[in-house]
Amino acid sequence: MLDQPAKSLTDCDRVEMCRLMVLSRCFTKQALTWHAEGRVPQGLHPSVGQEAVGVGACYGLRAGDWVLPSLRTSEAFWTRGVTIRQQLHAMCGTAESISGGKETSHHSGYPELGILAGTGIVGGSIPVATGVAMGLRMQGTDHVMVCFFGDGAANRGDFHEALNLAAVLKAPAIFVCENNLYAQTVPASVAMTITDIDDRAAGYGMVGQIVDGQDVEAVHDATQTAVARARCGEGPTLLECKTYRFMPHYPVFDEDRPQEERDRWLARDPIQILANRLQLSGLLDEAAIDQMAQAVRDELDSAIAQVEAAAMPDPEQVFTNIYAIKSERMTS
Amino acid sequence: MRELRGNQALCEALAQEMANDPRVFVIGEDVAAHGGVYRVTENLLEQFGPDRVIDSPICESALVGAGVGAALVGMRPVVEIQFTDLITIAMDQIVNSAAKARYVHDGAMHVPMVVRTLNLGKGSVYASQALEAWFTHVPGLKVVMPTDPHDAKGLLLSAIRDPDPVIFFESKALYAMRGPVPSESYTVPFDKANVCREGSDATVVSWGSTVPMAEEAADRLTAEGVSIEVIALRALVPFDRQTVVESVCKTGRLVVVHEAVRRGGFGAEVVASIADSDAFEHLRAPIMRVANPGVPVPHSAALHKFALPSVDDLVAAIRRTMSYD
Ligand SMILES: Cc1ncc(C[n+]2csc(CCOP(=O)(O)OP(=O)(O)O)c2C)c(N)n1
Ligand SMILES: [Mg+2]
Repeated sequence: MLDQPAKSLTDCDRVEMCRLMVLSRCFTKQALTWHAEGRVPQGLHPSVGQEAVGVGACYGLRAGDWVLPSLRTSEAFWTRGVTIRQQLHAMCGTAESISGGKETSHHSGYPELGILAGTGIVGGSIPVATGVAMGLRMQGTDHVMVCFFGDGAANRGDFHEALNLAAVLKAPAIFVCENNLYAQTVPASVAMTITDIDDRAAGYGMVGQIVDGQDVEAVHDATQTAVARARCGEGPTLLECKTYRFMPHYPVFDEDRPQEERDRWLARDPIQILANRLQLSGLLDEAAIDQMAQAVRDELDSAIAQVEAAAMPDPEQVFTNIYAIKSERMTS
Repeated sequence: MRELRGNQALCEALAQEMANDPRVFVIGEDVAAHGGVYRVTENLLEQFGPDRVIDSPICESALVGAGVGAALVGMRPVVEIQFTDLITIAMDQIVNSAAKARYVHDGAMHVPMVVRTLNLGKGSVYASQALEAWFTHVPGLKVVMPTDPHDAKGLLLSAIRDPDPVIFFESKALYAMRGPVPSESYTVPFDKANVCREGSDATVVSWGSTVPMAEEAADRLTAEGVSIEVIALRALVPFDRQTVVESVCKTGRLVVVHEAVRRGGFGAEVVASIADSDAFEHLRAPIMRVANPGVPVPHSAALHKFALPSVDDLVAAIRRTMSYD
């Protein structure tokens, strides 16, 4: 049985989680503006409104643990230590991009920070996460895998196969569903007859839990409990984080979501929720939050200047790392 | 004649055939309430209701598998796979369920299903693959790739009426292209390639989004006094080999251009069809292929041109064939 309690958060941790959420939001908004202006060629799937999920779930993971972000989990990158400059390089496809210009920021991996690259195929990472967890266990480590995906991905066959297999293998995986109620334009209520994806955990004999995805401390707490169970061999967990994206799916998507629903969720802004708490505890005031945002904006300004001055990748990049050995015979 | 964009022409085909045949229905992600990410199913929900225009969960394998099932009992499903890279998920249902049903029932059952999908072209590693050649390797499937709005409408109507499963590849270039489209319902047969322009010095064979490239290359070379015949295949299965063979008998030179990877691409099949035909002895130059050199399509805009074939590449290849006498 589990005897270690989940690691509790210090005041410093709580302030840092607030900073990470602010960082994520400022980055997303600025990057989208630059994208609209044509300065940054890649758009992104904005996580605004959902910041608590990635920050809460990744915060406090150890070196040696792995995460697999969804197309929207920018927070997994920030929380594990990716810099603003690195993500801008990836978006602009410069020579300094972590993939050498091969992939977009959201499908990039940072192996040294324990971040694997997810593919563009929604849900395709879930079986991979099961395999990573299985491998970590076979190697005798107590490391875990935290895998993020949306409500839409939870309707894919890959979700079913991967969760069942993970349960059978007692794989140390934490499956974090970012249930933001939509898959592009299709409401979850159209795509499934249940309200709670958590219901599915029982079908795999897996522990499942519904989590308030707007409350970063609740997400952190639930994840750490699942992580502790996974580390001592008690198997995987499905965490369903109820959340909402405050912006369209992607810049070019027009949208028609009910105003009442939007208002209800906008009133539950994850940054506000934590900030209010920190203010009540006297840990932070509004000025301090403004300072956090200003620091991000300053970093963004200096980063974009560096990225715009950066060299573009050598054409050779197109032909490298398709195979271990580059050979004329392998292309053409 | 009235002009439409490619996506509007496709939409009109769907609407007309749904009005004409109550067995036809459309299913896919974002196709109903939203009208399709690229507006190919715009207003179909309003016209035909939610029983025939269905927003699905994200479930590509189940979409195609369910399409097969519905087709087996007499429906005419048009399944949308949002873009080609996602069709990989449905491969089992396409290759094993759809393509084999007629054969194993010895003709007693069949699958009149259309799987529409979209080659996004230059996007990123997971949003740019051209995979049409895979499907040509599977007996039982037809593979159709329209180039312009006129053909898009007529070929889609043929596909829906076809008694066998059709994989129907659209492209972003097609959606954006404007061209004349008759307003009545009409079909374009799969098995007749479109000779877009006649010429006598070299034949260029292409399909889908690379046809405009072939025409541009032909324009450039015409200015230099070289006469190019441009053939657009409308389908890869059935492949109108005869038109290509006759053209090469006349010109003695062949260049094939496609967006897909060269190795194992359908271009190889086109070339082989010349190698083992009467056209062989008319060849005056080696046959050239212009295609993706065998790399994923990278994200960085600075790198695209090294992965995707360009008009310049095609012009260079044609010039090379012309350098032989
Ligand atoms: C298998 C697959 N089908 C369709 C798409 C197109 N697509 C991209 S994002 C998306 C919605 C994903 O919804 P969800 O999993 O809920 O994540 P969210 O975008 O809401 O964060 C779709 C349908 C895709 N990328 N992969
Ligand atoms: Mg979602």
